[in-house]
Amino acid sequence: MKTLNIITLGIITSALLLVGCSESKNVKPTSKISDTLSSISEDELGLRKSSVSDESNVVSNKTEYSKIDAGSGYKFKRAFQDAPPMIPHNIEGMLPITFQDNQCISCHSPEVALDMGATPIPASHHTNFRPQHKLLAGEKFVKITDDMKNEVSIKKQDTLVGARFNCVQCHAPQSQGELVKNNFEPHYVKTDGADKSSWKDERMLKGLETLGDDSFITEDDFENSDSQAGTLNKEGNH
Amino acid sequence: MSLSRREFLKSSAAASAAAAIGMSVPSSVQAQADDVESSWRWDKAACRFCGTGCGIMMATKDGKIVAVKGDPAAPVNRGLNCIKGYFNAKIMYGADRLTQPLLRMDKDGKFDKQGKFAPISWKRAFDEMEIHIKKALKSGGPEAVGVFASGQYTVMEGYASQKMMKGGFRSNAFDPNARHCMASAVVGFYQTFGIDEPSGCYDDIELTDTVVSWGANMAEMHPILWSRVTDRKLSDPERVKIINISTYRHRTSDLADIEIIFSPNTDLALWNYIAHEIVYNYPESIDWDFIKRHIIFAASPVNIGYGMRRSDEKSVKDGKYNDKEMETVSKEMQKVVSEKEAPALKPYGYKEGDIMVNKNAGLAHWEISFEDYKKFLEPYTIDYVAKISKGNPDEDINEFKEKLKTLASYYIEKNRKVVSFWTMGMNQHTRGTWVNTLAYNVHFLVNKQAKPGSGAFSLTGQPSACGTAREVGTFTHRLPADMMVDNPQHRKITENKWMVPEGTINPIGVQHIMKIHRDIEDGLIKFAWVNVCNPYQDTASASHWIKAAREMDNFIVTSDGYPGISAKVSDLILPSAMIYEKWGAYGNAERRTQHWRQQVLPVGDAMSDTWQWIELSKRFTVKDLWGEWAPSGPRSEKLPSIIDAAKKMGYSEDTTMYEILFANKVAQSYKLDQRDPIQKGYDNSEGYGDSRKVIGSDGKVFDGYGFFIQKYLFEEYAAFTRGHGHDLAPFDVYHKVRGLKWPVVDGKETQWRFNVQYDPYAAKAVKKAGTNNSHAFYGTLAKALPFGDLNGVKNPEKKSLENKAKIFARPYMDPPEMPSSEYPVWLSTGRVLEHWHSGTMTMRVPELYRAVPEALCYIHPEDAKHYDVKQGELCWVESRRGRVKARVETRGRNRPSRGLVFVPWFDEKVFINKVCLDATCPQSGQTDYKKCAVKIYKA
Repeated sequence: MKTLNIITLGIITSALLLVGCSESKNVKPTSKISDTLSSISEDELGLRKSSVSDESNVVSNKTEYSKIDAGSGYKFKRAFQDAPPMIPHNIEGMLPITFQDNQCISCHSPEVALDMGATPIPASHHTNFRPQHKLLAGEKFVKITDDMKNEVSIKKQDTLVGARFNCVQCHAPQSQGELVKNNFEPHYVKTDGADKSSWKDERMLKGLETLGDDSFITEDDFENSDSQAGTLNKEGNH
Repeated sequence: MSLSRREFLKSSAAASAAAAIGMSVPSSVQAQADDVESSWRWDKAACRFCGTGCGIMMATKDGKIVAVKGDPAAPVNRGLNCIKGYFNAKIMYGADRLTQPLLRMDKDGKFDKQGKFAPISWKRAFDEMEIHIKKALKSGGPEAVGVFASGQYTVMEGYASQKMMKGGFRSNAFDPNARHCMASAVVGFYQTFGIDEPSGCYDDIELTDTVVSWGANMAEMHPILWSRVTDRKLSDPERVKIINISTYRHRTSDLADIEIIFSPNTDLALWNYIAHEIVYNYPESIDWDFIKRHIIFAASPVNIGYGMRRSDEKSVKDGKYNDKEMETVSKEMQKVVSEKEAPALKPYGYKEGDIMVNKNAGLAHWEISFEDYKKFLEPYTIDYVAKISKGNPDEDINEFKEKLKTLASYYIEKNRKVVSFWTMGMNQHTRGTWVNTLAYNVHFLVNKQAKPGSGAFSLTGQPSACGTAREVGTFTHRLPADMMVDNPQHRKITENKWMVPEGTINPIGVQHIMKIHRDIEDGLIKFAWVNVCNPYQDTASASHWIKAAREMDNFIVTSDGYPGISAKVSDLILPSAMIYEKWGAYGNAERRTQHWRQQVLPVGDAMSDTWQWIELSKRFTVKDLWGEWAPSGPRSEKLPSIIDAAKKMGYSEDTTMYEILFANKVAQSYKLDQRDPIQKGYDNSEGYGDSRKVIGSDGKVFDGYGFFIQKYLFEEYAAFTRGHGHDLAPFDVYHKVRGLKWPVVDGKETQWRFNVQYDPYAAKAVKKAGTNNSHAFYGTLAKALPFGDLNGVKNPEKKSLENKAKIFARPYMDPPEMPSSEYPVWLSTGRVLEHWHSGTMTMRVPELYRAVPEALCYIHPEDAKHYDVKQGELCWVESRRGRVKARVETRGRNRPSRGLVFVPWFDEKVFINKVCLDATCPQSGQTDYKKCAVKIYKA
């Protein structure tokens, strides 16, 4: 499998370290805490920077969602390539989503989105991966994909995939700020990756064979003959 | 159209090439960008969060996670995740990750309970743990050493901790936070089926005509399952019906055909109403052939209390509970039968105003006749049930009655498939076990259980509440694969496999998670270790436990990725590797076991919980732990010495638990091998050590155990399951599939348990019995019962119920605390979609934090006006136990009727568990977080 070339394995990288940076080999990694503070009180730790025993002065951070109207063109950067975009506009009066009234779709449908200044619902939302397994007469259940082979069912459709109807399960309005800095760094694959979904066509299936040519089960796997711990002896009936 | 992946790749290559021509991106930039992804490594993993158990695809680059996408091959979620699922990418990267052990110390560097935290080495951390565990053992024996375990442990972590606690320390003061989330479901399963875990699977959603959600906000708490329900509804809007049954309106109502808002605790009455409709008004809908072959009727005592503290317990006698608190706690001893519950208790001989004296009845139950069951059901007429259960004071009673009738008609309609889903509303309940069993009653009566598209299905809260807590058995009373510590045969099997002497395992397993807190408050437990949970934020009556931890003579250790409330109140904090920084496996609510590989190295000096347990095991020898222990706490007999027996097995007094439990010969046969396609190119920080060169518990660089410890732990645990109805597939298989639903027999997973057509164990049982039954409920627990009537046993002779399940007579009863003039409002707590549990991970992901930055007090606009509090302004929420401040929300996603408020518990700054009551289901020990009485006023 070609993507297996990132090895951070101890025995290999440590060998490199010994060659490359012999000076630092005995230096123990230090943490932020020990760098900056010799000690820290419990009240300084965590999200609630105050005593756990007293509620009188504890007030949570106020929700301040965007007041920008829908259609302004303002967008949040996607958190990483193909991450669900957060809702940049005021959603007052737009929820709840019901079968009778899904206001998100009315502006974000691909046919109207550009005219509305909205992000169009991308191709992924018109791709149904759910295989329609069958229940035959006599309650006989038949799967149309073989899960033992990690088969994927793909059906493109014109309408929004039903599983994606509840937009707010992935997309949320955003208040201000952050409680704690997050050191995650996105690496956008596409130049417009912060802005646009690229999750379509073959990209949807990228990397699914996680063991490369060894991704599929063999008889030996089920034999499990080299697993000494894997069975109870005869007295082990319970 | 359905294509295998390879076929799809072939057919889509041309199309995507054509599409690329139209792109506006300059080709050089595009090439450069695509080059970025060629250095990504994609791998499969399980989501960190809820019990749905979605599969994710995770990309790493240069040792960091860079992206997450839905896994189209994962049967649970098929290419889609919820917002938390996608943000698995960021949960490990909060800047305040714990990177070094921290100990409370004085100026001289000595442990000081009142000291500030200062960084120490792993060696010092284990020195301190060793000292304080030995001190606790001396003070109160094994019962004085407690562990707050977890439904978020990986399977391997759970098994390692169980082995060391039960096989090493001989302590059963070991219980998971999963106790708070599904213990009632478990006891419901045991009492009904004789064995734990659901008969159905998620494929029921696509096959059913009716989804009834009982006390479960699936839209927020199991969003991917809800997306499947939504998809099913949209596929056939006329035929498919969705009913949401809840104590307040929430997002699950938004997509429901019918919403039934009921008064808290009256779900007991609603289930019995449906059974009453079937038995009294539609008797022809009962499948008598099925019932006679497969079902018996049963009853149990009703005066069982509410799992609160009793008057003879030390902390109560010491006056640690004030008069206000005792108003409620006193009901544990006795109560007055109310007008509301009197009709339901009439068949038991009670009337309104009677004093009911409560006693712990344990799990006792007995067989009764159908006639007695029918007599028990008599009170649940539409008039009585509608009167006590209507939860919206502004709803018309006749409209409410119509809804109940329609609900019953869906269950009754012959050709209609029905799935009933539930979670915390039915589990976090002072009659949680009862209400779980009542669900199966209805499904059994109409023969709609354990069939494709039909069944009562308990959804799980946590990602491995099933896979680890229940299946491995990280509970006080359990051993792997449904075995119990109080069963001598089960102890023997386990001891045998663990290569420890017979008699090692302590037979008394009653220190459940609430009992652990209470035993700390009573001074019995002197050492407690928090693993993968946050018990000082997540437990009701929180102020008591914090006070006990901070002010009494004990030593509390918390292992965590981030400093949460539990870390703050601890004496020692240990930095844990988080989810994708270790090899692991989780088991979800449909019996699906899923594995993942270590994707990245842990931060700082963090190490996995497995490593922490194994390192601790090096500190204890045969003579330290295996001598005789005098009676202590719940154990009234001595625990005998097994040192001589250990010597006969070839161990010496100085053999360490590490050598016996974790690095034995069998363990070492699991080789680290970079030629193994599963291990190839992947880190294994426990196996090899890693490039961080962490200084370990002996003060030297930790360079690995030298064998494949995670595979050993999984395989040894799996041995208990194989051939016993829980069969897990081999370790390697799970790395090649997107999970499998156990029992996995002859290379095949099981879709519907107990159903002869689908479950090889059921087929075997039926064959053995020589019947042609459709089902075999082959669980073995409590499968021989005496006979009696509603009021008790009449014939103590036990009769076998082999392969049968039970329908229980269990009445409506009030919870112990209800609104009164002083505290006029119900408080319900729970989660929100964007945050997981106590928020330690999700509050550190900016997108999730900004989505819901604070826990709001959701309240009806009229109530807000009545209590003089305003939208967006602060109010106090106060109970007999404490108060917290929260902002008022009158128009949010949760829309309670008048008389109830909802406050989620993820927010450290809205510490709602200080307000909640630690009453539990007395049978399951699970806390009722959904009901207590509060007052609301301006802050």
